[in-house]
Amino acid sequence: MPGSERSNEQWLEELSAPGPEQERALADLRAILLAGLRKALAGWVRTSGREFHALAEDFVQETLLRILDSLGSFKGLARFTTWAHKIAIRIALTELRRRRWKDVSLDKVFEDETASMLLEDPAPDPQELADNALSVQWVLRIMAEELTEKQRQAIVAVMHGGLPAEEAARRLGTNRNALYKMIHDARLRLKNRLHREGVSVSQLLEGMGRGKR
Amino acid sequence: MTDRPGGPERRSWLAKASQRRRKRAALVKGIEELKMLVQATAATEEDEIGCDDAYEALDQFAEMVVRGEDPSTIMPLVQRHLDMCGNCREEFEALLRVLRAS
Repeated sequence: MPGSERSNEQWLEELSAPGPEQERALADLRAILLAGLRKALAGWVRTSGREFHALAEDFVQETLLRILDSLGSFKGLARFTTWAHKIAIRIALTELRRRRWKDVSLDKVFEDETASMLLEDPAPDPQELADNALSVQWVLRIMAEELTEKQRQAIVAVMHGGLPAEEAARRLGTNRNALYKMIHDARLRLKNRLHREGVSVSQLLEGMGRGKR
Repeated sequence: MTDRPGGPERRSWLAKASQRRRKRAALVKGIEELKMLVQATAATEEDEIGCDDAYEALDQFAEMVVRGEDPSTIMPLVQRHLDMCGNCREEFEALLRVLRAS
C-alpha cells in the first residue's frame, strides 16, 4: 500500500510485527524518508549524486531502526510520516553538524581575543561605580557576577564561536537540552539583574553604543 | 602623521600597529556579540521549554503551520523556543520544507 494511503493506525500495525507486512511498510517508509531528506538537507549538502544517496541511505537506515524501537512513543498528534521525517531530520542534522564542526575545539574558540574579553573577570572600576555608567565594562562585570564560569563558556561557545548547541554541549560535557536550560538560566539571571538595577535594555544598548569600555 | 622609524624599529612599529588593529577588531566584535546577548536577555521569559520538549511537539507544530494555523497562539512555548534556539529552528524549517513539498 502506498505510504500516502496508510493511516497512523495502519503504519503502527504493519510495523509492529516482523513479517512480510512489516517489510513492505519499511520499504515504503524508506522511500518516503529518502525523498524527504532530499528536501530537508538542501543547503546542507549537495542533494544529488551517489554521495548524497549513500549518506541519505545511512540516515534512513538509522531512522528506521529508531522508529521500530520507539513505536510505542508515537502519540498520534501528527501524521506518522511527519513524525518519521522529524526523526530522520534530527539524525541527519546531528551527524552533519558533527562533521562540519569536528575540527573546532573549545580551546581554540576561547583563546581568541574576543572570547577572552567575554570570559574575563573585569576588576571593578571605582570611577565606573561612581558614575554608575552603563557600558560594555559594566555588562562584562555583571556577567562575571551573575553567571557561573560554565554559563559564560556556554554563551561564548554558541554566540561567539558559532558552535551548534549540541556540539557546544558535547565539548562542555553535557547535552543539548541541558545546555539550553543553562543558557536560559543565564539570560534570566541577567534580566533579573537589569531589573534590580533599574536598567532598561534600550538604556544599556545606548550606553554600550557610546563606546565606553 | 606619525614619523615612521626605519629597519627593525619599523617592523616592531608595524607589528604593534597590527596588534592594536586586531585588538580593536576583537573589541568591536565583542561589543556586537554582547549587544546580541543583551537583546536575547530582554526577550527571555521565565517560562521557556527546552530542546527535548520542543522536539516532542515539532511534528504537530509543523503540521499546524502548513495548514495555515497560528501555532504561536496554540503552542506559544514551542514558538518561543524556536525563536531562541537555532538548532531547533533549523530542524523545524527542514521539516517544513519536507511537508510543503509533499
